[in-house]
Amino acid sequence: MISHGATSHGALPVVITPGEPAGIGAEITLAAWADHRSELPAFALIEDPSRLTALAKTLGIAVPVVTIDDIAQATAHFADALPVLATEYTAPIKAGHPDPANAATVIAAIEQAVALVQSGKAAAVVTNPIQKSSLHAAGFKHPGHTEFLAELAGPGVQPVMMLACPELRVVPATIHVALTEAPRLLSRELIVELGRITAEGLARDFAIPNPRIAVAGLNPHAGEEGGMGREEIDMIRPAVEDLKKLGIDAFGPEPPDTMFHAEARARYDAALCMYHDQALIPIKTVDFWGGINVTLGLPFVRTSPDHGTGLAIAGTGTADCRSLVAAIGQAARMAARRAAADLNAGANSKAGA
Amino acid sequence: MKPRITLLLGDRNGIGPELAAKLLADDSVYEKAEIEVMGDPAVLAEGLAVIGSNANQNRYRVTEFLPVDGIQTTRAKETAEAGAEMLACLSHAAKRVAAGEADGVVFAPLNKQAMHMGGLVHDDEMRFIANELGYTGAFGELNVLDKLWTTRVTSHVPLKDVAANITSEAVLVSTRFADETLRAAGFEKPRVAVAALNPHAGDGGNFGREEIDIIAPAVEKARAEGLEVEGPYPSDTVFVRAQRGQHDAVVTMYHDQGQIAMKLMGFGQGVTVLGGLPVPITTCGHGTGYDIAGQGIATEKAIQNAFAICVDMARSRLAAV
Repeated sequence: MISHGATSHGALPVVITPGEPAGIGAEITLAAWADHRSELPAFALIEDPSRLTALAKTLGIAVPVVTIDDIAQATAHFADALPVLATEYTAPIKAGHPDPANAATVIAAIEQAVALVQSGKAAAVVTNPIQKSSLHAAGFKHPGHTEFLAELAGPGVQPVMMLACPELRVVPATIHVALTEAPRLLSRELIVELGRITAEGLARDFAIPNPRIAVAGLNPHAGEEGGMGREEIDMIRPAVEDLKKLGIDAFGPEPPDTMFHAEARARYDAALCMYHDQALIPIKTVDFWGGINVTLGLPFVRTSPDHGTGLAIAGTGTADCRSLVAAIGQAARMAARRAAADLNAGANSKAGA
Repeated sequence: MKPRITLLLGDRNGIGPELAAKLLADDSVYEKAEIEVMGDPAVLAEGLAVIGSNANQNRYRVTEFLPVDGIQTTRAKETAEAGAEMLACLSHAAKRVAAGEADGVVFAPLNKQAMHMGGLVHDDEMRFIANELGYTGAFGELNVLDKLWTTRVTSHVPLKDVAANITSEAVLVSTRFADETLRAAGFEKPRVAVAALNPHAGDGGNFGREEIDIIAPAVEKARAEGLEVEGPYPSDTVFVRAQRGQHDAVVTMYHDQGQIAMKLMGFGQGVTVLGGLPVPITTCGHGTGYDIAGQGIATEKAIQNAFAICVDMARSRLAAV
């Protein structure tokens, strides 16, 4: 990969996608700029500038919007106005009511954002939440954002979803499936793969050189030596052994109910969880507002807020922008670490990279 | 009238005796109840020695009960003798409440392995006590942290078998049970939330249909019975809502759904209520702490909470008579 993260002009801007236009994406981005721009890196939002201006007016948030045609201009404008890369929607936007007619615009914005980061013009991609049902109705074939981004990233990419807040990081091994499906989708290989990518991601993007990975059990009390399920014995423990052989500081399987309180959390850098709610219950309980979603394993940096499209409250100005703000800040830090690493690697291979 | 609470020392080889001693050293407990310690006075003395306090000695009664001849304390070891003692104490204390000689029982942590070694043939102490009392009605364990109660539809089963055990009837029984137990603990109209089974409560049927086919109908039925019940709620946010005081109880579908959140919110502080039995009985949510037994460092928060809840339950029971 070529080095592009840091230039003599400083850090590159972050590009933000609109997500579902009938959801809260635009308004939380307006709020993020209005209330948090001094603490955030420069970012640009892909949106329809006139509708964004109208939305700001409706919500009574004083946000000047500036349309830019090259994301490089975002940095110069950012202190005074929210930089926007213009796009157009096919159908009018009605808050709370997604229209599949706008799916093509939503998808194109994601593609544009990935192209910007892949070509070295943006530091990272932050995605606002999409309404999957609306995109699927329009023919979108991917289960979600993460899979689509992986495809855009190129062949051989294995994306891993990690949820993070300052106190806890969790990686669910199975995600949006019925609880009864989750055990069938788990395997020793999957756990090893996720553990490996998580460890690499933490080392590369979070500056944790030897990450400690706690692997959760699947069953109550981690199966109690087979008395309440055998997955720990047959699959999870061997996977932990495999990870150790790879030189990764992994341990487990841990009883799920005693691994998330503060004292237990101090023993690891990320918890590898077996199913969605095993990961989501603790992180939402620890930090309801500040959690973010980070995709590990991609050739570029991508984060997002860890909430949905908020259709029920869209357009009311009550949506909380804290998760998006945290996602933008985290994306910039990750990008800076990659840029510094790339710069070092470049300096070693060819002078003056 | 203050309720009469019987305090049992639990597993004499664990942290039970020192926790009992710490509870007795707390002046405030005597304002709420008349306390009687039942068991081996020598074990109580061991607990008092660990914490180095004989405070309030005139304020509680000690009822000697020595069911196992020649028993010795062997700290941090499961022994059949200690197990037999735990069972005999539970049975005797529960029967005395049933006979009107006391109003509630609080016990310090028990060791399940020791109880099995000491003759327990039931799965747990709760079934044992029900059997000793000849009680055949519905009963179940509830976990309590501060003001939040949880009960569960399935408990110690492999995760893959959970869904097969979730039926409308089972959800309804757990919901009614939560309502009844909270009423028995003094809640006038308990606000009960029912958790979903699947991520995002099934996302409209995309990740499982149990919410639509099983849980929602059970919630409707409970509401038709006049219970203040809502749900199914996604399990990653229902505890946040409950923590904010929007619910008094959460009916969970499986063991870790409730236990992850409860232990995260208050590790070592939770209480286990043996709900449904004709006798108020509560204990600590934590175990016997063999690794720290005898050091005096075990925290008494959970046994204090267990005591407070037992007092509430005993009061409601006295008021109902």
